[in-house]
Amino acid sequence: MAGTKEELLAKLAECVVEMEEEEAADTAREYLESGYPAFDGIMHGLVEGMNQASELFDAEEYFVTDVLLCSDAMYAGLEVLKPHLEEENAEERKKAVIGVVEGDTHDIGKNLVKIMMETAGFEMIDLGRDVPLQKFVDTAKETGAELICLSTLMTTTMGGMETVVELLKEAGIRDKVKVMIGGGPISQKYAEKIGADGYSQNAVEAVRLAKNLLNIC
Amino acid sequence: MAVVTMKNTDDGNLLALLLESGAYVDNPCNGKGLCGKCKVRIISGDVSEITEAEKKFLTESEVEEGIRLSCLTEVRGEVSVELLQKERKHKVLTKGYVPEFDADEGLSGLGIAIDIGTTTVVTSLIDRENGRELANASMINAQKHFGLDVLTRITYEYEHPETGVKELQEAIVKSIDGMIEEVCAEAGKDSGEVREIVVAANCTMLHMLLGVDARALGRAPYKPEFTDARTVTAKEIGIRKAPEALLYCLPSVSAYIGADIVAGAYVCELQKKRGNVLFIDIGTNGEIVLAADGRILCCSCAAGPALEGMNISSGMRAAEGAVEDVKITEDGVKLITIGGEEPAGICGSGILAAVKELLRTGIVKKTGAFVKKEQLKEGDFRYPMIQVDGEGKRAFILCEEPRLLVTQGDVRQVQLAKGAILSGFTALLNKAGIQMEDLDEVMIAGQFGAHLPAESMAGTGILPDEVKDKLVYVGNSSKTGAYMALMSKKARSEMEALAARMEYMELAETENYERIFTNCMIFPKF
Repeated sequence: MAGTKEELLAKLAECVVEMEEEEAADTAREYLESGYPAFDGIMHGLVEGMNQASELFDAEEYFVTDVLLCSDAMYAGLEVLKPHLEEENAEERKKAVIGVVEGDTHDIGKNLVKIMMETAGFEMIDLGRDVPLQKFVDTAKETGAELICLSTLMTTTMGGMETVVELLKEAGIRDKVKVMIGGGPISQKYAEKIGADGYSQNAVEAVRLAKNLLNIC
Repeated sequence: MAVVTMKNTDDGNLLALLLESGAYVDNPCNGKGLCGKCKVRIISGDVSEITEAEKKFLTESEVEEGIRLSCLTEVRGEVSVELLQKERKHKVLTKGYVPEFDADEGLSGLGIAIDIGTTTVVTSLIDRENGRELANASMINAQKHFGLDVLTRITYEYEHPETGVKELQEAIVKSIDGMIEEVCAEAGKDSGEVREIVVAANCTMLHMLLGVDARALGRAPYKPEFTDARTVTAKEIGIRKAPEALLYCLPSVSAYIGADIVAGAYVCELQKKRGNVLFIDIGTNGEIVLAADGRILCCSCAAGPALEGMNISSGMRAAEGAVEDVKITEDGVKLITIGGEEPAGICGSGILAAVKELLRTGIVKKTGAFVKKEQLKEGDFRYPMIQVDGEGKRAFILCEEPRLLVTQGDVRQVQLAKGAILSGFTALLNKAGIQMEDLDEVMIAGQFGAHLPAESMAGTGILPDEVKDKLVYVGNSSKTGAYMALMSKKARSEMEALAARMEYMELAETENYERIFTNCMIFPKF
């Protein structure tokens, strides 16, 4: 019954792209039972599937909600594989703090960016929504995160992003932490205006931007 | 087209200067450089270098002609520009269904009923002796200079803490004064005879009318300064045409369920209907009220402006020349425009009809993605209708000349609106514990709803197919509610009681909302 490792990896990726949550979990179990390493299953199966989903998103084939459904399948598989990861595979990951700024409760966009960045290998510290601005700075300081990702959907709350940049300066860590922003009313022009390090229009772009800002290829 | 010359201006942003001078420049994104609608042609003057962001929105020939996005252009000294848009005539809905009710006895003099919408303001002059409408008028809300939507106007208050509240109040009061003058002149009456003014509006408009700080409405936890019904004298808020009149504002439920919705729900008699009735007002925010088993639940969802023709690449408001209906046939694309004019863009009902047709013909799949052109045969009637650009992005050619496209991004905007409205709808049904098929009636209110036929709504899945035959269009129920309150004290107190009874549900706080929303994004299959 069991396929070769390559076949199962391809199937894991396919489950993610096709948004098949249960099948992803089943395939992950089958993969483990066949004795293949969990790490490869994650990286070359599930994550590969998310990468394919990103490409489809880039090509305008997939939309926000499609990618969310893909991520459901990925997490279903991940839940199966993760407990079987060997310790030495826990490589050093770059930390990033993410959240929706104070006064705003719209978090679908933020969740998607978090998923895509996690998939790309970042360790995401998710502060949720309606986050007090100082908390971004404090969390970055405590965890040594090199990146803060801010999101908002409303023009009334976007000013909070500028405040975060100011608070980083006050805390004396502006040179240690990059700030990237996004959300409905946000633009490149706005990022430049408030002195953020970058703007991305969507979650796929956000990954590229984050890697660029932290010089990861 | 009009040429505007601004002399001795300070250095500044061109869009801001133009708006200040009173010129008409379309700017749905409010000068953020996102929509590309504020194009003007520079005739002369010292202007900043063209930016990369602008080039995205301009064709090469436009750049050569000196066309710029005014919001991204900084100017110095004397500048002459040519405006590229003319203010178009808008269709405004002033009428609606009025239920039977008993007017108070012994009323006299004139009364004014007003519905202040974020976009349009509608006013009726009423002879209170017999309840007859003597004249009506409508105009675009003059606050549009501060932003097209509620949030942008609230943002203006944040950015101008000293003057914002006052400026927004003056803008709407000036509009009201103008309309009182207009309706009184039309009816040959003296505006001094106006005894009472009743206003229905969304919660933000009410704050701004009464000169109350609206900033808290723009941020979580979205707490209004007031929701109760309020009475002031007209002169207190600066109305000059009928200063002695009493002005009564209908009550709201919450920041995003305003008096306009309470009025609508009342006009539709949700407070006394048996069975399960859904009321929906479609606009930038879709407000939904469900009366089920004696409970009245409501929520508001951020539909975005797509159904009003905004945020759409070839979008425009429902004005002359706007494509309002679309049919895709084997012989080509058939368009119907408002006023039968040359197509100039596509409005809300048009984009919805277009998406419905794209779904029906399989050009767009139920996931919302365009079909791949290479999957169609060359002889297929759909083949020449799809444009693929250099980056492989697909779009539907709605009109060759002038070139109007429905892009993948446009379909996604409609899909987001659809997902938002249907998810609000679904969340309310879940809360009440009933199914779609349990609904007895679906009442569609408001300016935009009235132009959205059942076929398009069900065809795009904004409303599920099960309710297609249960739709009732009630028109501008907000103004009707104001009218009833003008004629009957009982109606007033019943509306106040209704507002207190309506249970507001915050969608973002709803368990599993993201899931519901995701499921609601899928288009129906034909």
